[in-house]
Amino acid sequence: MSVSNITSSKFNQMVQAASVTLKSNSKFINSLNVFPVPDGDTGTNMSMSFESGAKYVEQDSSDSVGDLAQSLSKGLLMGARGNSGVILSQIFRGFSKSVQDKKELKSEDIVEAFINSAKTAYNSVMKPTEGTILTVIKGIAQAGKESKHSDLADLFDDLYNGANMALQTTPDLLAVLKEVGVVDSGGQGLVFVIKAFSDVLNNRKIDESHQPNSGEMNQMIDASHEQSNESAQGKLNPSDIKYGYCTQIMVRIGLGQQVKYDFDYDKFYEYLAKLGDSLLVINDDEIVKVHVHTEHPGKVLAWGQLFGDLANVKVDNMRLQQEDIIEKDEKKEQADLKSEPKETAIISIVSGDGLGELFSSLGVTDIIKGGQTMNPSTQDIVNAINNSNAKNAIILPNNGNIFMAAEQATQVVDIPAKIVHTKTLQQGLTSVLSFNPTASLDDNVNEMEDTLDTVKSGEVTYAVRDTNINGVDIKKGHFMGIVDGDIKVTGKNSVETTVNMVKDMLDEDSEVITIIYGKESNEKDANKVKSKLETIDSELEVEVHEGDQPVYSFLISVE
Amino acid sequence: MAVKIKTKYGLIDIDNNVIATVVGGAATDNFGVVGMASKNQIRDNVNDILKKDNYSRGVVITQDDNGISVEVNIIVSFGTKISEVCKNVQSKVKYNLETMLGISANAVNIIVQGVRVLD
Repeated sequence: MSVSNITSSKFNQMVQAASVTLKSNSKFINSLNVFPVPDGDTGTNMSMSFESGAKYVEQDSSDSVGDLAQSLSKGLLMGARGNSGVILSQIFRGFSKSVQDKKELKSEDIVEAFINSAKTAYNSVMKPTEGTILTVIKGIAQAGKESKHSDLADLFDDLYNGANMALQTTPDLLAVLKEVGVVDSGGQGLVFVIKAFSDVLNNRKIDESHQPNSGEMNQMIDASHEQSNESAQGKLNPSDIKYGYCTQIMVRIGLGQQVKYDFDYDKFYEYLAKLGDSLLVINDDEIVKVHVHTEHPGKVLAWGQLFGDLANVKVDNMRLQQEDIIEKDEKKEQADLKSEPKETAIISIVSGDGLGELFSSLGVTDIIKGGQTMNPSTQDIVNAINNSNAKNAIILPNNGNIFMAAEQATQVVDIPAKIVHTKTLQQGLTSVLSFNPTASLDDNVNEMEDTLDTVKSGEVTYAVRDTNINGVDIKKGHFMGIVDGDIKVTGKNSVETTVNMVKDMLDEDSEVITIIYGKESNEKDANKVKSKLETIDSELEVEVHEGDQPVYSFLISVE
Repeated sequence: MAVKIKTKYGLIDIDNNVIATVVGGAATDNFGVVGMASKNQIRDNVNDILKKDNYSRGVVITQDDNGISVEVNIIVSFGTKISEVCKNVQSKVKYNLETMLGISANAVNIIVQGVRVLD
């Protein structure tokens, strides 16, 4: 079959054939539609848009292809329906612009025209989404560029193959297609158009109604589920599902004991259409496959048997599946929520990330950032208690200045809340250790309060100006060691000052020393302190932690 | 102002900027839409196409008792059927709001601020 150029009458034939093909396959295209909105109307929209274009061409008596292409473009523009209709009109607008002055088309004109189609299509959208009809028109343009054929019948076969290959790549380009397991419906529509063009030029019979194969049937089934769920999985109430059973059967036509009728597609289809929705029926000479959502799967099976035997049956209860989905979602939501409500929340006011971690590791449930220079408000403490998801709360202020705010907070919260009067972070740490999760709130608070006297708290910081406190002269930049509120030692060097301060704190009952180094210090210095203390008394247990606290180079507790 | 959704676990606050971005993304997904336009054209320089992070300037959200209304300002491509493009934008915007944010819009109003000739 050799075609050297496309005349106006040939062009008209091509357009009419495409219109017929789209119309007879609109249902199939609809069944694939999940993007941009899974409303199953792509085929209808494309078919109606193209019909309008075909009508304009039909009524145009010009003998120039250029004029007819203009008419097609205009008809598509006027009749454009839906997203796919708009883009179809753009594709042929680009096509017609390219051929407008040509009476007849040669192969190079066609190649040029489709390149221009693709360009116009891509230009008409702000962010071109691949995996759509755009990918297919690009594939057609590319196939045209690469084709070696000057014979138009062969060229159009190349274009059709290019279109088809591009269509098969759409699921890899657009996630939602892959998820559902379909090719793009608009792209499929364009492939039908090119196929019709090619069939006319090759004098093939126009393949009016495409017979889906098994793979395509599965795509249609997946897409129909997507369309009926509107992807609102888990939102749909199981009792809102009108037809509860997804029923699929495969019938071997004419076989078996129950056969009563010769297979007739329309007759077979019509009865099933009354039984439910999402109906898909495909067949060849030997087999017919059915997918339908119905309340009466038994009737579907029985009906199938009147035409042949059942090779395959699959019935899913969609309400049950939906319940499972919802249940799973709920479980997940619950798991996402906080775990079981706690018996007792321990809320500790802490300065420094390291200290926060230290407190958390000891069992403190909630940390409020604050401390010497930034006391939390009553509201902060109330919020922490209310958000703690616990039945009782214990507050560790770790600073005398916060007692008042904490006290007020305990008055206004909904759950019993008590304060353990920790004046220092060191006391806070020690008190947490005696917390017993199984004891009552009151017992715990008493127990924890009792530990406070066993801890000596030492703090090392530096003076910001020359001053005299409690008869001790302090120079700016010098370090001072404060034990339970009183300045005991001063010195030029933080390590030395710390060691001297600890010596002052030790007595015969002392067993454990904890060194918490802050922002102003580092691990190296802390370890220096540690080794110096160990030489004083080898019986002492010395621990070093990173506290990250501001202001205080070292916080020391001696127990 | 933001859209508040009450659930049994508490309150979800969706900022208008988020809604605007979803709406803008949905609108510009459609064939024939070449961009979002500012709702205050005069002030923001006529016919300027908004960039992705400015979609909120082209989207007006008004909240009433039973949902929200959205106004979308778009620029369309010359040679498309504008009425149809607008319909497509409406349905896509409505669908995306429902699926992504669980918000059902009572009205999606489209304002075509301009037409771009691209070829």
